[in-house]
Amino acid sequence: MIRRSFLWLLSAASLTAVMCVAARHDSALAQSKPGVLRVAMTAGDIPLTTGQPSQGGEGIRFIGITLYDGLTRWDLSKSDKAAEVIPDLAESWTVNPGDQKIWTFKLRKGVKFHDGSEFNADAVVWNLDKLMNKETPQFDQAQANQAASYSAPIASWRKIDDWTVEITTKRVDAVLPYNLANLFMSSPKRWEDLGRDWSKVAEKPSGTGPWMLESFKPRERAELVRNPDHWDKTRITKSERLILLPMPDPNTRVAALLSGQVDWIEAPPPDAVPRLKQQKMQIVTNLYPHIWPYQLSFLDDSPFKDIRVRKAANLAIDRDGLVKMLGGLAVPAKGMVNETHPWFGKPTFEIKYDPEQAKKLLKEAGYGPEKPAKVKIVISPSGSGQMQPLPMNEFIKENFADVGIDMEFEVLDWEALRTRRRLGAEAPENKGRHGVNNSWGYWDPDIGLIAAAGSFARVPVGFNWGDYKNEKADALALKAKATFDPVEQAKILGELHSVIVDDAMWVWMVHDLNPRAMRPNVKGFVQAQSWFQDLTPVVVE
Amino acid sequence: MSQTSIAVAGLGAPLKGKRPVTRSFWQNVFRRLTRDPVTMICLAILVLIIIAAVFAPLIAPHDPYRTSMARRLIAPGDARYWLGTDELGRDLLSRLIYGGRLSLFTGFTPVLLATVIGGTLGIIAGYLGGAINMAIMRVIDIFYAFPSVLLAVAISGVLGAGIGNTILSLTLVFIPPVARVAESVATQIRAQDFVEAARATGAANWRIVSSHVVPNVTGPILSYASSLISVSIVLASGLSFLGLGITPPEPEWGLMLNTLRQSIYVAPLNAVMPGVMIFITSMCFNLMSDGLRSAMDVKQ
Amino acid sequence: MFVYALRRILYTIPIAIGVSLVCFALIHLAPGDPLSSVIPEGASAEMIAQIRTAYGFDRPLPVQYLKWLGHVVTGDFGTSIMTRRPVLAEVLPAVLNTLTLASAAVLFGFALGCLFGVISGYVAGTPTDRSVAAFSITGVSIPHYWLGMVLIVIFAVNLNVLPATGMGEGGSGSFGFNWDSLQYLILPALTLSVIPAGIIARAVRGTVAEVRKQDFMQTLYAKGLPGRRVFVHVVKNALPAVLAVMGLQLAQLLGGSILVETVFAWPGTGFLLNNAIFTRDLPMLQGTILVLAMFFVLINLLVDILQTAVDPRIKRA
Repeated sequence: MIRRSFLWLLSAASLTAVMCVAARHDSALAQSKPGVLRVAMTAGDIPLTTGQPSQGGEGIRFIGITLYDGLTRWDLSKSDKAAEVIPDLAESWTVNPGDQKIWTFKLRKGVKFHDGSEFNADAVVWNLDKLMNKETPQFDQAQANQAASYSAPIASWRKIDDWTVEITTKRVDAVLPYNLANLFMSSPKRWEDLGRDWSKVAEKPSGTGPWMLESFKPRERAELVRNPDHWDKTRITKSERLILLPMPDPNTRVAALLSGQVDWIEAPPPDAVPRLKQQKMQIVTNLYPHIWPYQLSFLDDSPFKDIRVRKAANLAIDRDGLVKMLGGLAVPAKGMVNETHPWFGKPTFEIKYDPEQAKKLLKEAGYGPEKPAKVKIVISPSGSGQMQPLPMNEFIKENFADVGIDMEFEVLDWEALRTRRRLGAEAPENKGRHGVNNSWGYWDPDIGLIAAAGSFARVPVGFNWGDYKNEKADALALKAKATFDPVEQAKILGELHSVIVDDAMWVWMVHDLNPRAMRPNVKGFVQAQSWFQDLTPVVVE
Repeated sequence: MSQTSIAVAGLGAPLKGKRPVTRSFWQNVFRRLTRDPVTMICLAILVLIIIAAVFAPLIAPHDPYRTSMARRLIAPGDARYWLGTDELGRDLLSRLIYGGRLSLFTGFTPVLLATVIGGTLGIIAGYLGGAINMAIMRVIDIFYAFPSVLLAVAISGVLGAGIGNTILSLTLVFIPPVARVAESVATQIRAQDFVEAARATGAANWRIVSSHVVPNVTGPILSYASSLISVSIVLASGLSFLGLGITPPEPEWGLMLNTLRQSIYVAPLNAVMPGVMIFITSMCFNLMSDGLRSAMDVKQ
Repeated sequence: MFVYALRRILYTIPIAIGVSLVCFALIHLAPGDPLSSVIPEGASAEMIAQIRTAYGFDRPLPVQYLKWLGHVVTGDFGTSIMTRRPVLAEVLPAVLNTLTLASAAVLFGFALGCLFGVISGYVAGTPTDRSVAAFSITGVSIPHYWLGMVLIVIFAVNLNVLPATGMGEGGSGSFGFNWDSLQYLILPALTLSVIPAGIIARAVRGTVAEVRKQDFMQTLYAKGLPGRRVFVHVVKNALPAVLAVMGLQLAQLLGGSILVETVFAWPGTGFLLNNAIFTRDLPMLQGTILVLAMFFVLINLLVDILQTAVDPRIKRA
């Protein structure tokens, strides 16, 4: 009897072997097909498809700027300088010199939605109503939520003629064109045709973008095809088809790339990079407006209220070690923005690794090896832009311990951490917490500097978590907001940046290099210095 | 793992022997256990792991928290770092030794708590019967109506990460099966002649429970609970692996597995090490639990 | 028998209500606001209140529960906070995918478990028995998500013979009974099967050993029946219990595949659940847990009734 069982086992084993051989044969078929680009995203789901995507920057990157256009867009064609905002569905705009709150946008003619209907001033008004006017039938809470931070400065809007739209801001705000790049125009006709039901539109959305959604399956895949009639002939997609696959687990992404299931993965874990390179995969990196900081509390119970402690914390971190741990996929930070950025300015406090100086500063502040400064920081185990939060924080904890800062963590999941950040340091939930490790972007002046440093921009209206107050910073922030000349504005932002660096407003660690890995046959990609990337020139050969 | 033996073993632990358990029963069990080489080997390994964990500061060759980028991911077999180093250059052997503390703690504690709470509930329900039995057991049934992994993940997911929440969720998962075992045994005991006799002579309930019910229930519960320890260790490490368990920088095997697995392509041996520790520990507990069960099986 | 089945079915109703109550309560035990994931950066207090009303979170808890239960009974499990899609429409396809995975795992587990179980049960007490038992204990001791990781590295990346993730080129929509699809099932199902394999092996071993010890078996031996006939008897007697274990394992795996689905990006309920937890999508979390728990209750019920029907020796109260 036993012998027979073993025979069974043997035959099962040989069957498996045969199947494996067959699989080897088959997996050749699973390799890339020319013209089809398969991308593994870090998101766990397909972002919202109706217009304003969910899933933050990644949603805009893969579902926003692919299916849709805004009045403005980021110029993502250059890799050697920070991405800028350029005209898109609006050809040009002017600010009323009498009242700088009033903007007039001239729209591009001859633009068609995927469903064939025409893009015009009515469509713009309809879309802004969709996001901000609860009285209109097309108002959609889900999209409004996603758009809120971009639509916040807008007070009112109206049609002047078929090709002209006027937008009024709540206060004088030179940052508006940046915000408009993230407000996407969906087709009013498609919504009408599908019985005014946004959940049906989600299955079959229509924008004006270079790609059209063919089908999607929640949490599994979205298939986009080329829009051959896109108004900008230079941006007709080189690939016929773009397949988006949500893969939140980094190791899964690496395995999928190595086994030929996808052509492109977002954010490979640093330790997989040597292996990927060994298999001839391309590793593409570039700076982008990202900083991995501790946002600090300035409340009375926070040791960080003392500038010496803040400076000491900034000097205690071995950023080169951190970069080494990250496999070189990051650059040490010298402030909020990177050194080559137009807003860097001329700070006098140099952020570097100087533990001796840090110890000296702490001693002056009344701390020492016997009496370490005790701080508690809120961190998360993962999240968009959070890089490798657990090992990075553990590493910094050791750095801090060396100079006499005793750091304790509170680990929350990513959404919970974001909630804590929105609540502000003063909220009862954040009592006794002296910082929050929330990665930050500086793609526009508001998020990056003005609303992070201005004492008028406390959470939740702005992004000033820890109640930072500095009169010089306030004055410069308000001045920047009201300066419409880009060169002049950049200069003021540089001064503002110098002030907050000299004041060691946050602890700044590293800028992520936004790594992605692709198969050797993926060609034509230019990685812009941006959270967003243009997939139109990319092709699989 | 995890969901596993709960469903099966729980109901498969019927009352052995109809007589009150005597001292000699436990002596017999003990004698059988000491003569079983597999159990003894497992015991030795576990004692070793536990001693190492308890006296970690004396035994660990290096500081488990000391990071160094210069020596990250050294392969096992190094002269200084015997089992290599992790992604932050910390000595892996030291971290595995320290890691035993939390891993064993999160393995033991829920089982211990569930045994005490579930056992008490089960005995009360089984001995008192009637409406109280009804009330307790129906609530238990509701929690038993969830797949165990699902319940643990759901509770931890909702409450958030942390040692306390992990222990809480695992305890809640283990109470229903323990209570069911205790209840079924206690119900059987209650119907026994010697209990009826004791009642007839007017003995107080607590006296009957402590002298007749508890000693008889102890065996089946112990045998069942021992099989839960390995489930608990694997499940707790699974929660840490998902990011729902222990929070860093504490060394814990599941969490180490989680953070090290991104290095699986450059340092596969280092990355699988914590998994091996979880496996060995859970295996030993399982084999010991088996040994205990067969030693308590009077028929053999 | 019929009366038993009826009573058993009736008894399921209060359990189901209890389960729904636990699912509901679970969500409201959550620290932090379930709304946090929909409230945009820099939303005003007025806006937050508006969203709260829109989602119905402003009503008292018992009202919320009854309303929710009323909806659930009519098949409306609410709308996902993150995606705004109906929860049920998301959960059901995921359940189907998990069911596919769990069934395959239980079948693998059955094959392996029976093999090892029969061998060791047949030679109970011998060294062979102990070593086979040790092997089957491996199944219940190994952290299977870890095994999955190792299998991916070996078979998908290094040998490149099996796919690493997902359900195939066309996704779950085009999954079918052909090699193109089934090859995606092998690694995750094998990983997940170590649990049922271990448990089934233990169950089979126990039953086989027990049956062999029983009086009628001694009689069969005494009658001088050939070994094969005796074996058939053993199998016949052990089968109901083993099938019951399989049913229960299938039910457990439905809720227990979360780790494996995460490692293999299998678009089932585990993947859904993990997503819902980390985006704090509470309606989704609630709906998924409820559907899974109901499936669990249902499968347990079926197993119970079937087992009673198949094996009249089991007398129930």
